[in-house]
Amino acid sequence: MDLSVPPDITFVVLTTVTLLAAVMALQAKELIYGAISLAISFIGIAGFFVSLDAPYLAMLQIAVYVGAVVILILFTIMLVRREEADKDEAGETGESAAGLWLAGLLAVSIAGIAALAGPNLPATPPPANLPVSELGPVLAGAYPVPLIILALLLSGALLGALVLAKVDR
Amino acid sequence: MVNLPTTPADILPFIIAVVTSHTFITLVIFPGFIHLTIVVMFLTWYERKLLARIQLRIGPLYAGGPGGILQPIADGVKLIFKEVMIPYKADKPLFLGIPLALVFLGALPFAVIPFGQHWVIANLDVGLVFVFAVASLFPSMILIFAWASNSKYPFLGGLRSLFQQVAYEIPMWISALSVVMLAGSLNLVQIVNAQQKIWFIVPAFLSFIVFFIASMAELERLPFDLPSAEPELVAGWFTESSGAVFMVIFLALYMKLYLMSSLITVLFLGGWWGPAFLPQPVWFILKALVVATIIIIPRGVYARLRVDLLIKVGWTRLLIIALANVFITVVLLSTGVLSAWGL
Amino acid sequence: MPSLVSYIIVSAALLGIGIYGLSVKRNAIRILFAVELIVNAANLNFIAFARYMNPPTVSGQVIVFYSIAAAAMEAAVGLALILVAFRLNSTIDVRKLNKLKG
Repeated sequence: MDLSVPPDITFVVLTTVTLLAAVMALQAKELIYGAISLAISFIGIAGFFVSLDAPYLAMLQIAVYVGAVVILILFTIMLVRREEADKDEAGETGESAAGLWLAGLLAVSIAGIAALAGPNLPATPPPANLPVSELGPVLAGAYPVPLIILALLLSGALLGALVLAKVDR
Repeated sequence: MVNLPTTPADILPFIIAVVTSHTFITLVIFPGFIHLTIVVMFLTWYERKLLARIQLRIGPLYAGGPGGILQPIADGVKLIFKEVMIPYKADKPLFLGIPLALVFLGALPFAVIPFGQHWVIANLDVGLVFVFAVASLFPSMILIFAWASNSKYPFLGGLRSLFQQVAYEIPMWISALSVVMLAGSLNLVQIVNAQQKIWFIVPAFLSFIVFFIASMAELERLPFDLPSAEPELVAGWFTESSGAVFMVIFLALYMKLYLMSSLITVLFLGGWWGPAFLPQPVWFILKALVVATIIIIPRGVYARLRVDLLIKVGWTRLLIIALANVFITVVLLSTGVLSAWGL
Repeated sequence: MPSLVSYIIVSAALLGIGIYGLSVKRNAIRILFAVELIVNAANLNFIAFARYMNPPTVSGQVIVFYSIAAAAMEAAVGLALILVAFRLNSTIDVRKLNKLKG
């Protein structure tokens, strides 16, 4: 990383918010606080999308993730409540240390490969020309088969979730 | 950007330059902060007067000025002085913080809604999707608030409100799809500009009806107001809120009403286009108030809809009508019937 | 604009947090949180690469479009499974949900 140039303030703020909210989502004592932190983390990722010239995907991320997945999660949390079920546990000490080593090694190795390949990767983005209207023709024109498969998958997942969660009277 | 002041003689020109810049005027005065506050307060008075006249009453009369026009200020002062009661073992940070978040989210989409050709705070290329993305955050906030109240009736009201609002989001998105196809852009300024010759309510009449009904359901207005029905649920998801908390929620609801009226005006009623004897923003506000009137009137006229029928209407009937209108729009556009009006 | 390497490092950090949650937590819903975080890390990576390629392509955004939809579906079905597991076993502690083992 080139430190002669001051770091971009938007990038720093977004990174801090996203990573902090992600950690809080896993470590918060109450599950509902964890779900809210997860929503904040998703909004942070949407902010990253906006800074990377993908505004439509940022709005889609907010509408789908924060507007639907988080609601589902909150719903399930409220339906799956027992008195001691929410006291969160970090597992035994040995296990959480192993998890930290695993995750740490993985993240550091990926980051290390990226940093080593750094000089070969672009440091400044090329001039952007990605209007929103370009997304439609590519979706329907170049990738129509995945679109149809996605529609079928969605119907299948919807029916599956309904059948699974149904209560037999 | 303007130059920062370096000497004391520079401060006054700097302040004048900031205050008269486009960003400041649109953000603070119109269509920003001051205009929103005044209109939302006016809408509360307007609704009470209108419902009173429908019900052969008079409505607010004594609170200063003609016809009790200062009633909202009297209400605000009264509510501020009431005690904020927090239920036993309720989640205090969420209980106090979520109403503020609701007001924030209710006012946020106004940043992209254009009140005139240049009276817009931020002309996003994806403006319409931004409004819908923010609107999809409301149900989760209401659910969290209802859960944080730690009490039966608010929780049931919150669940019902969640089901209702989620069910009516889809017909709204699909009827807006017809408008986007007619205008060819997601940018709200371009959608209004495409209505220069013909308002979209004419080719997309069915989707106007669907969008109107869906927005009445999103606002939880009668006949869709079961989440706040008095005989069943005391007051629904805001039962436990009192004093300043209730005032903030009340403001958020009326801000959403103004937001939906403005959105209907932008998408279907031609935005700010009108004969030139009135300036553009005045036409916009007039049309938005007409839409708000039509949304408010059923409250004094119709009976309430049962919640399962309500949800069934949202998922089945409205969805089919919205899809039918998308089909009709495709047919109209491909046969070139609308080329006389530049579509 | 930060360099591409910065975005990859952020994405790797999110991935690490997600894998930590996936391997250590006992509550099934926390594991779902972790899975969503991992998917989001991958999405961020795709968008960053799509932007920094020369010329910028829109295929990265198409992939993320599908990824968001697929992840939402997976969350719905996963939560339905958690509900059913809770109904049958009265617990969502994944260490106790091991009747299929052995």
